[in-house]
Amino acid sequence: MNLLELRDLSVHYRGARGEVTAVRSVSLGLEAGETLGLAGESGCGKSTVAMSVLRLLPRDARVEGQVLLDGEDVRGMSWGRLRAVRWAAASVVFQGAMHALNPVHRVGEQIAEPMRLHGVTGSASSSSVSSSVSALLDQVELPARTARAYPHELSGGQKQRVMIAMALACEPRLVIADEPTTALDVVVQAQVLDLLKRLVSERDIGLVMISHDLSVLASTCDRLAVMQHGQIVEEGPARQVIAAPTHPHTQTLAAAFPTVGDPASRHVTASDTSTGPVLLRAEGVRVDYGTTTAVAGVDLEVRAGEIVALVGQSGSGKTTLARTLLGLQRPTAGRVLFEGAELPRSASGLRAYRRQVQLVLQDPTSALNPRHSVYEAVAEGLRIHRIAGDEPTQVAEALSHAELRPPERFFPSLPHELSGGQRQRVVIAGALALGPRLLIADEPVASLDASVRGEILALLLRLRRELDLAALVITHDLGLAWTIADRVAVMYQGELVEQGTVEQVLLAPRHDYTRTLLAAVPQHQGSTRPDQLSVELRLPPHRLLG
Amino acid sequence: MIRHLAGKLGGALVSLLFVVALGFVLFRVIPGDPVVAMTRGRPVTGDQLAELRVRLGVDKPLPEQFVDYLTAVLRGDLGTSHVYNRPVAELIGERLWPTVLLVGTSTVLAVALGLWLGIRGAWRRGSRSDRISTGLALAQWAMPTFWLGMLLSLATGNLFPSGGMRYPDTPPDFLSQALDVAHHMVLPCLTLIAVVYAQYLLVMRSSLLEEMHADYLTTARAKGLRDDLVRRRHAVPNALLPTVTLVFLHLGLVVSGAITVETVFSWPGLGLLTYEALTGPDLPLLQGTFVLLSGAVISMNVFADLLYRVLDPRVRAS
Repeated sequence: MNLLELRDLSVHYRGARGEVTAVRSVSLGLEAGETLGLAGESGCGKSTVAMSVLRLLPRDARVEGQVLLDGEDVRGMSWGRLRAVRWAAASVVFQGAMHALNPVHRVGEQIAEPMRLHGVTGSASSSSVSSSVSALLDQVELPARTARAYPHELSGGQKQRVMIAMALACEPRLVIADEPTTALDVVVQAQVLDLLKRLVSERDIGLVMISHDLSVLASTCDRLAVMQHGQIVEEGPARQVIAAPTHPHTQTLAAAFPTVGDPASRHVTASDTSTGPVLLRAEGVRVDYGTTTAVAGVDLEVRAGEIVALVGQSGSGKTTLARTLLGLQRPTAGRVLFEGAELPRSASGLRAYRRQVQLVLQDPTSALNPRHSVYEAVAEGLRIHRIAGDEPTQVAEALSHAELRPPERFFPSLPHELSGGQRQRVVIAGALALGPRLLIADEPVASLDASVRGEILALLLRLRRELDLAALVITHDLGLAWTIADRVAVMYQGELVEQGTVEQVLLAPRHDYTRTLLAAVPQHQGSTRPDQLSVELRLPPHRLLG
Repeated sequence: MIRHLAGKLGGALVSLLFVVALGFVLFRVIPGDPVVAMTRGRPVTGDQLAELRVRLGVDKPLPEQFVDYLTAVLRGDLGTSHVYNRPVAELIGERLWPTVLLVGTSTVLAVALGLWLGIRGAWRRGSRSDRISTGLALAQWAMPTFWLGMLLSLATGNLFPSGGMRYPDTPPDFLSQALDVAHHMVLPCLTLIAVVYAQYLLVMRSSLLEEMHADYLTTARAKGLRDDLVRRRHAVPNALLPTVTLVFLHLGLVVSGAITVETVFSWPGLGLLTYEALTGPDLPLLQGTFVLLSGAVISMNVFADLLYRVLDPRVRAS
């Protein structure tokens, strides 16, 4: 008998505009000890499927079909039976880095809570509960004292480990992991994925793993199901689905996460590479906050028409460096030169400088004012810089450069009426309206769906070709660097540890840290990448914990 | 921790000094001559008025008056009331207890009622009971206090006394006195509760509604917790945090009394005293009540800050 079986599961949400169907007749099965990956973009219904297993959907959801957990239909259970099944038979690892833990309870209490509730053997005395909490924390490689910490005192990776420990508290046979590594760094992500894999094989539990990232699923799962518009469009052994996707949507998803070293996913040709004059140069830039050093002496150059990727983990100082290059943060030592002249310090001088260098942020939803129309958002920069000329024409031109055509149609739109990709295009148009020479883009596609990423990256490449626009792209994603960058600079603990052309750095890395980063990227197939295995993690201990 | 406490207390002291100075200036610029107010309705000569000015010290230049006032306040002397001709501190001390009793009791009850209804409303959002209780609370909040007070005393007839704090002929033993005061307190207390509980209800309801969609509540449900445990153990403690600030700000206002209610029910508290001081105008008395009220609000604020650190580990960290 299957551990979990979904038969013809459909979920509809009753909304103000009638019923919306989120999941359409999905049928899936999972055996004990097996791992199943569920892939898809945001809104495809994959989380709704996960939530329906423990009947955690909101009140306005209407469910059809059967959800069999060990042969018993979850939909037919009484509330008492359902509460007994929750967490004891099946538990969930939520996309929990930030919000799935209660902020005012110690994590030890939160792990112990389901043990007490379900009367796990030996949970009657408080000393045995705390010793089982320590044992669980030990399993997820956290020290026992973590139990006394509050969630905000832990890093994202530590919180995710706590979530996993919590999911194992009642020794369930099924674990559902909903985007367990989405908010995490590559290195930390690799650690968490290894941990999940190890626990699944040690305890013979079934794992359903949900992600938008095919490469994450490929490295963990035996079988893969790809969802689109609430339906499963492709299903099969993970290797086969990724190596030879048959459905066009699977192909799009697979292409969105390029393999480093694969010529097919590199979109830059040698002829594109610029040899223009140096536009922006950082010389020995150092930034201290009190006693901590965020940037420790960085030399970096961006030439006109060149795309440089600044790669590093969170906390490596790459965002501080970007702020310094923009003149938002004054360096403690060293200097930043734009076209050979040091950055001005006066407010008006900086304003003139920022016309030349524009910033594109990670999350277009929070970068745009929700009450400003697209026209207002793009025209704002023009007004601040008092740029002469016909405003509507300039706005229209910027929008069509960002491939929002016909531009007039987008003028009155508000951000919530646009898709994620369109919003990021509006942000880019706002930057382009000022006619800058350089874009500094901080994780420009990290919050976008797989199918949209490619389009935005193609846009950056086209802008470079047509407008000779240079870009400094800050990212933790080596695949992104491989796709569009001419040169890569790797940042680690405030220093640039390696710098060079993409081929040099990513195919023949010289620094250990670059190799560690490359090894941490989840891989889906036998690729041409070197040094795939056995790179020693030479990170400081607190990073390893993270 | 010690440093944080010292910083907070230092800040509070500075604001208190500002308040004393502000009170002094404020009551000097409002129109009305205190000497004229004191002698209203009595035939006086110009010489007598001048002599009175010298006695009260209002003939001196303002800066000198301020220094005199400040040194007196630091010694704990709030001056002498012009109207009552008694020390202000003594008058306030007399009126403080009835006010704390009345306004304190009604605030505690209003907070309890408001939080309870707010939690219920948020948990069953949009249900009939939520709509009725929220609507009713808003309607009562919108009512003029004096009108509601008079309406209540009309509606209850002779059931409860509608003025004063005790009957003169009550036996002096503690129990009968307490019962008598409680009996007098019913109407003013009800009026105050009816008017203010809506704000606790609304704040609690909206902050709980915000928490309702929090992911950790889904985690708690997935763990198999009963609905009321999810609410009691996880949702409410988080939603209470913003309410704490509001409650303590209001506790600070307790000592100011409730001017309208105390006047309508002639309750011998600070609110009534302030009203009387205003009609004077009795400057030393007004300044005294002003300083007391601000001091109470400032110290409750400090207290709320400290309590917040105990309740929310995230605040402790920063």
